[in-house]
Amino acid sequence: MSWLNFLKHKPSLLKHQFGRGINANLADNEENLYDRSTLAFENQNILQAYEYYFKSLINFSNDKSNNNIIINKTKKRLNFELYQGSARVSGYVTQEHLYAEAILTKKANTHVALKRYILERNYQLTYANYFTDDTYIKLKLYLDNITMNPQKIFYPLRELVLNADFDKEYMRSEFSNVILEDIQHLENINEDELQIKYNFLQDWINELENKISTLPSNDNAGMQSFLYLNILFKIDYLIVPKYEIYQKINKRVQSYFNNENVSSEAKNEELKLYIYKLQNMEFKDFRKKFYTSKYTYNPVEKTSQEEITNFINESLIKIRWYKNNRYNQIIETLYIYISFYILYNYGVNTVIKSLLHTLVEVYNPKYFKSLSYETLYDIEKKDFCKKLIISRVDGAIKAYQNRFKSLELFGNKLNFSSLNEFSNSYYLQINELNFEEI
Amino acid sequence: MNTQLILDTYIDNIIQIMTPYGSGTGFIIENLIITNSHVVSGLKEVVISSKKIKRSIAKVVYDDADYDLAFISFDMPTLSKQLSLTKKNVKDGDTTIAVGHPYGLNYTATEGIISKASRLHDNLEYIQIDAAINPGNSGGPLLNIDGEIIGVNTFIIQNSNNLGFALPYFYVQKALDNFKALNKNNIIKCKSCKNLINELTIKHDYCPECGVKLKVAKLRRKGYKATGTTKLLEDILNSLNINVTLSRRSQSSWVVDRGSARIKINYYENGIIIGDSKLCAIPKDNINDVYDYLLKENEKLSYLRFSISENNIYLSHLIIDSSLSLDKGGIAFERLFNYSDKYDDILINEFFAIELKKDDED
Repeated sequence: MSWLNFLKHKPSLLKHQFGRGINANLADNEENLYDRSTLAFENQNILQAYEYYFKSLINFSNDKSNNNIIINKTKKRLNFELYQGSARVSGYVTQEHLYAEAILTKKANTHVALKRYILERNYQLTYANYFTDDTYIKLKLYLDNITMNPQKIFYPLRELVLNADFDKEYMRSEFSNVILEDIQHLENINEDELQIKYNFLQDWINELENKISTLPSNDNAGMQSFLYLNILFKIDYLIVPKYEIYQKINKRVQSYFNNENVSSEAKNEELKLYIYKLQNMEFKDFRKKFYTSKYTYNPVEKTSQEEITNFINESLIKIRWYKNNRYNQIIETLYIYISFYILYNYGVNTVIKSLLHTLVEVYNPKYFKSLSYETLYDIEKKDFCKKLIISRVDGAIKAYQNRFKSLELFGNKLNFSSLNEFSNSYYLQINELNFEEI
Repeated sequence: MNTQLILDTYIDNIIQIMTPYGSGTGFIIENLIITNSHVVSGLKEVVISSKKIKRSIAKVVYDDADYDLAFISFDMPTLSKQLSLTKKNVKDGDTTIAVGHPYGLNYTATEGIISKASRLHDNLEYIQIDAAINPGNSGGPLLNIDGEIIGVNTFIIQNSNNLGFALPYFYVQKALDNFKALNKNNIIKCKSCKNLINELTIKHDYCPECGVKLKVAKLRRKGYKATGTTKLLEDILNSLNINVTLSRRSQSSWVVDRGSARIKINYYENGIIIGDSKLCAIPKDNINDVYDYLLKENEKLSYLRFSISENNIYLSHLIIDSSLSLDKGGIAFERLFNYSDKYDDILINEFFAIELKKDDED
């Protein structure tokens, strides 16, 4: 490791939201706050316990609190607000109970289908349930604090928060007349950035069309699937759309992976139709599908390192098959598909997320440049910005070496001879990371 | 007789047998319920029901692990038509009818033929049949086309296509004769020496004749004992004057009838207890009003909630096991039972929701 790289060892700072989830760092003393919460619950010091617990959930960007949780404690009551995308959950804690609710929409003139939807959701949800008051449709949670501890708060509160966010977006995309309430916290994205996103979306779909035309004329359903899924994951991670684009990508991807009775060709057709629908979307419609917000919980369950390693290994075996059969036109897509797939489907830790993000940056230098980030790879010259990449990689790891003592830096072990070789060495090194907390 | 006529004629003789470990079938012969030993799972008491018998507790008076047979005693109702064991030989190719409750599908009759009238397995002859029998059929009767019993459906070869085996009628007759000759209850047949042992004479679960350990004796001595949260749940139900044995459907599920409502309680491995009452089906008209009512009522309810699944309206209560106590659990379940009984009336009488058919044998 050179001293220059050492000086640059800092996790990369992102100015934009990428992908789903929190996209921020938890407090340095998060674990300590959680432990203190456990202890306070054991001592029946309930308000104090909740205060520690909520503080352990506050996340930070560039060392500044994102204010995703706001608490206000008095002697007998702790009021809180908690943010997750389109949802603002407000509530209070007393020695005996926790009550929390999220406002979704006004109840007046609600379509019968929406009422049916939320009553059916009540059957699916474990802890939270929908109700109406005089004005609104709300999702609520009511818990006894008798035997409470941080683990027992986690699942109910997470269910309330994630589903309030998901259902608000779902309602808006499914019922055109629904006006979401309690969304003053959502911030618009500036028009220049939206235009960049729109332009790149168009470019990527055009590139996809060109790529499809290079595939062999027969027996190409598998390759087409990779290309279509890759672009949907890429749109989700880089463009970060909300409302119906988010919902429809979700639906298409789920339908692709869960529907075993339909042929790959038919599934590809479904994906293709939606991608071309996106291509035909006018900017004035496109720009309505975005906002930025604060997040508290990750929408996907934590994935074990073993599962990620297995996925990478299986994917590398597939890539070898395509290489051996000389389908070189698909190799590059397959390499980056691994990252996009993991970022879309798995709940990864900050180190993995940061490493995969760096690889995504390498593959999409023009997009990141247009968002004013440094360029990590020159596509025309096929030239890597080696020092910066090594610094990013080692910085992402170094920041967590205190916690994961066996983590080893691997920036200098990467192979920069070509993009494919680089990607291959990158994934192999990710698989070598040891996340044991000793 | 055709299959349907046979089933209609003898349906009152067919018994459903339930234990915390599963369920099976039995049938009445000579004032005893005949079933498999594995259906009663080494218990002294099981729950039975039939077209003529409401869910009741009955005693297992004979347990024979050798033939995989068990006899259950109960104060039987008067039956217009009684089943009997055949006296004719069975032959390959004969038509057979298997009756039982496979997968809880009560009174299912399946027709087939005898593939081999005498198939030797573990030194016993079995009738091999091709009639589709499944878990829940165990202990049920295998009939000929005259409606006579030719065997007891006993086992299948797993993952095979319709390979079923029934214990032939002559073994059943022999076991019945031997049992009746003793004129005593609580008899266990030793699988090793084949002697019939009076349970009272068994010490430390050893066969007093040949000295082998009697697994059935041990199981009968220990009985079924709920533990942990399951025990606490049963204690709560008991404190509410509910017969736990009759309400138990498995080791982790119970059904309670309160007024016109039926409440199902399930304990899940993740520590969650859910009490669900399927109150009624949504009405045909003014459905929107029902939805408004349910959502508004949900505002008032703290622990309970209304929901809809597959056209049915549910009232549910979720409890996390670690917060369950005898007192709090009692209050919670009592609330669920009472509200279920109250709300199904409101929904049916005021909103014309559709009353659900209740299966009394369930």
